Amino acid sequence: LTCNAAHFLLSTNDKTIKLWKISERDKRAEGYNLKDEDGRLRDPFRITALRVPILKPMDLMVEASPRRIFANAHTYHINSISVNSDHETYLSADDLRINLWHLEITDRSFNIVDIKPANMEELTEVITAAEFHPHQCNVLVYSSSKGTVGLCDMRSSALCDRHSKFFEEPEDPSSRSFFSEIISSISDVKFSHSGRYMMTRDYLSVKVWDLNMESRPVETHQVHEYLRSKLCSLYENDCIFDKFECCWNGSDSAVMTGSYNNFFRMFDRNTRRDVTLEASRESSKPRASLKPRKVCAGGKRKKDEISVDSLDFNKKILHTAWHPVDNVIAVAATNNLYIFQDKAN
Amino acid sequence: MEFKLEAHRIVSISLGKIYNSRVQRGGIKLHKNLLVSLVLRSARQVYLSDPCPGLYLAGSAETPVPPPQQPGEPAAGPPAGWGEPPPPTVLAAWPETQPQPERPAVPDAPRAGDAEPADAVAGAGGASPGREADAAEAAWGRVAAAGGVSDLLPEGLRGARRPCGCPAGGEDRPGASPRADCCCAPRPAEDEPPAPPVVCPRKRGAAGAGGGHAGCPAPDSTPLKKPRRNLEEQPSAAEEDGEEEMETGNVANLISIFGSSFSGLLRKSPGAGREKEEAEESGAEAAEPGQICCDKPVLRDINPWSTAIVAF
Repeated sequence: LTCNAAHFLLSTNDKTIKLWKISERDKRAEGYNLKDEDGRLRDPFRITALRVPILKPMDLMVEASPRRIFANAHTYHINSISVNSDHETYLSADDLRINLWHLEITDRSFNIVDIKPANMEELTEVITAAEFHPHQCNVLVYSSSKGTVGLCDMRSSALCDRHSKFFEEPEDPSSRSFFSEIISSISDVKFSHSGRYMMTRDYLSVKVWDLNMESRPVETHQVHEYLRSKLCSLYENDCIFDKFECCWNGSDSAVMTGSYNNFFRMFDRNTRRDVTLEASRESSKPRASLKPRKVCAGGKRKKDEISVDSLDFNKKILHTAWHPVDNVIAVAATNNLYIFQDKAN
Repeated sequence: MEFKLEAHRIVSISLGKIYNSRVQRGGIKLHKNLLVSLVLRSARQVYLSDPCPGLYLAGSAETPVPPPQQPGEPAAGPPAGWGEPPPPTVLAAWPETQPQPERPAVPDAPRAGDAEPADAVAGAGGASPGREADAAEAAWGRVAAAGGVSDLLPEGLRGARRPCGCPAGGEDRPGASPRADCCCAPRPAEDEPPAPPVVCPRKRGAAGAGGGHAGCPAPDSTPLKKPRRNLEEQPSAAEEDGEEEMETGNVANLISIFGSSFSGLLRKSPGAGREKEEAEESGAEAAEPGQICCDKPVLRDINPWSTAIVAF
């Protein structure tokens, strides 16, 4: 959202959503009458002349101020917010419910999806992510911990409990393990910019779905298949519950997602090529190119390869973003935000 | 057989996570706990269905070491948080569950990590389910010896805990009957079959609630006798029909734990931050972790292994 050169940002924690206005300030006024340069108030009786304050340049400052606070609408932990294409409404989703808000109205919201069972003992799945369609303001999708995605049309009924479409890929029985359910839980769902596809991220892979085909994804990209044999350890150290995001590039020709050891992966949908890159200080000198990395899954480790066992699972890249137009990406490592740009050819 | 050991280990890890989730910052994470409960159920299914009679030991008796609570081995045992509850809870559980002489071997095998206990276990092969207390004793003794370390036992204890104190293998269960008292059947606390009064000091509101748990608690003679009697009394019989019930009951109980924690949230009108605390308290049913463990069906009937130890 942009307005008057200020940007708006919607953010949330587990329970409360806030709308911020973010603006840049690069000038300040000097020469006030009622206060001096330090900001101290001047005694009005001592003022003998009036002057018009002058705008002078200053160091660029970014200010963020909360403009709206949307609270107390969620019983469970909020996992997603998504602004609608109408730029007036947005949705917020927690484990069991999705609410619809108007950006101007903070004291009420409408519940549009509710999967809470009458008896909590019968709970079998939770909502893990939700997003509005980029063009159709009545369409939204939400993913579940069972690895399925439901597409809802808000025009069909006030409470969208029944999907218009239901996306589910049949499970491969040969890969069943204790952790099959966990790794099939979807951590993120994103529409393509075109609105024709959507992408889901589960623990080991990224899947691209055609909205017109519910039976299976049109593409599956393995992010770190070498972790499949380590699931038990990852379960023990809780890494298996990490929620990775995914994103599309501006033209929908590539997708990107994060992994461990500060690695992130990009998949080119046209050439079917993929690359692993690392976001770290050492490999990110200014103007240096990122070198592709490779993880050695087993057997003899080649030079420059990293073995699975030496991956640092504390360094995880959960959040990535791709500029909607340019080839600029933002990658969030634990304490650092990296911004990379494609070299112009 | 590896599956069984793996399954057992996963069960113990899962239980630790569930327990920890109740005290962690930010409140219970519904999604994570749901996933953990699914893993728990899968592991339990495998554990129960893995036809592996070879796990049952035979052998000479040896003095088992009472398992003092120890900060567990990081790998599989539930974290220190578990420290207090287990043995007392277990005592409660014992009479309700079928004798599992074999079971003792299992938890230790993976933990020992070396071939010996596993071999001992396997060597027993074909032990009949209707084993008697002596054999159970023996099993413990052997494993303890094989493991060579007394702290294996507490590990085993904690590790072995299962949500329903139900016997390991369906087919192994010297069945009594529909003791579908695989206490995992969705029964509220009140319905619990006559547990030995000693049970859990906490359960009785004993003073020492917060404190020790020192493995085999003091009031011993009663619990000692009771389990043994039960062991001998149990006729051998297949117990498979109990499986289904345990299955859903187990998960249902787990969910109800989370559910009850949230019901407080739901009842209250949106009250901002208060909600979480209130939910935790109402769900918890008791101020301290020890009592929670005792009261919740899942944790209450958890560990026949440690009762076996107590018995010896």
